[in-house]
Amino acid sequence: MIVDSTMENTIDIQKDYKFPTDRRYDAEHHMWAKHINGGVLVGIDSLGLESMGDLAYVVVLPAGSKVKRGQSFGSMEAAKMTGDLYSPVSGTILTVNNEVVSKPSNVNNDNYGQGWLTLIAPDDWQSESSSLIADAQLPAWIEAETERYRRQGWVR
Amino acid sequence: MHWQLVIEDRVSDSYGLAADETMARRVGHSESNPTLRLYTYRNYSALVGRFQNTENELHLDFCRENDVAINRRPTGGGAIIMGEEQLGIALTIPGRSEDTYGRARELMERFAAAVTNGLCAFGISSSFRHKNDLEVNGRKIAGLGIHRDVSGGLLFHASLLVDMNISLMLKVLNTPFEKISDKEIRTVADRIETIRHFTGRQFSVAEVREEMSKAFARTYDVTLHRDAFTAEEVADIARLETEKYQTANWIHQLVSVPDTVGSAKVKTPGGDRKSVV
Repeated sequence: MIVDSTMENTIDIQKDYKFPTDRRYDAEHHMWAKHINGGVLVGIDSLGLESMGDLAYVVVLPAGSKVKRGQSFGSMEAAKMTGDLYSPVSGTILTVNNEVVSKPSNVNNDNYGQGWLTLIAPDDWQSESSSLIADAQLPAWIEAETERYRRQGWVR
Repeated sequence: MHWQLVIEDRVSDSYGLAADETMARRVGHSESNPTLRLYTYRNYSALVGRFQNTENELHLDFCRENDVAINRRPTGGGAIIMGEEQLGIALTIPGRSEDTYGRARELMERFAAAVTNGLCAFGISSSFRHKNDLEVNGRKIAGLGIHRDVSGGLLFHASLLVDMNISLMLKVLNTPFEKISDKEIRTVADRIETIRHFTGRQFSVAEVREEMSKAFARTYDVTLHRDAFTAEEVADIARLETEKYQTANWIHQLVSVPDTVGSAKVKTPGGDRKSVV
């Protein structure tokens, strides 16, 4: 088991949009990154997921692939659209969550736990993590992003 | 607001798809103006959805033997056939300018409304149903899809049936039918609608295109300027065509999600029984 899905501390601006405080968030692409022993787990945050709708297909680059922060590490088809998945960190893919690839609904059911997408060995976590949203920055960012997504029409 | 209107006919599968994706990217980066592209593919192209497996969805041997091109769309959904009597409608708009956003679903509904308004000119009343279909009295007349590009640009696409060779469609698409007789053709014909069948008139694709361009201008309250792709746009399309839409890696990409269609056949005293799920 790679994922520690216990999330005692979450920021919950809207009941549907939870943001656990035990990880960091890519402000542009709404992916989360959680540093654990041996790598960085990556998944989709609640706002990003809501904007896509229910996932039908997920494809992630295989283990060993090099990824760069802000660039595609996979793609998806959801109820509302098709599109790419963007990596919050640069590094090498260590593990792909094949359970999610074969059953994408796991992401919708548990996007911060069993719905993680990939585990990446980061090239420079210390530097890149500072560009991700966390801790004291979170509340204001979540509020602004929720409002932005609502205004732009991606979520209700 | 001014949009670019691009009209093309009998394009190849790789060019047609590369142009859609390229324009979504360029519009998202503000390198091109929002563009409405009304186009046809040359006879014929079998296009699977973004994550479908070509082997499961198409009769590949028939396609190869009959010069039916095979490719993969950037948008989701099921396999379709495109040719000179199916109008491709591709709208690319920026996804980051707030005044172009509605809710994602509403954006799709607005796009569908534009197609619906265009069909009204032919006396056809259609409605947006299910996930992404436009239907006329329960019969599908157009399939719709959205692709969100890395740039934030949005591609809305519709494949509108001016007419359809159902016999050919059944030979190209992997359907549950064991054989293709008049009965099977009628069964499929009962599920789809075309402009020519509904109206009983031989409207040309050009006439349909003309009404669609008017309807989009009205629905989105924009002025359309007919133009050809710029040299930069052409170069970008050619690049994506070579790097993606002409490669076997893209066209025959495999996905790990279990097939949505499976079947089993059992011989019984009453004849063969086939179950399809």
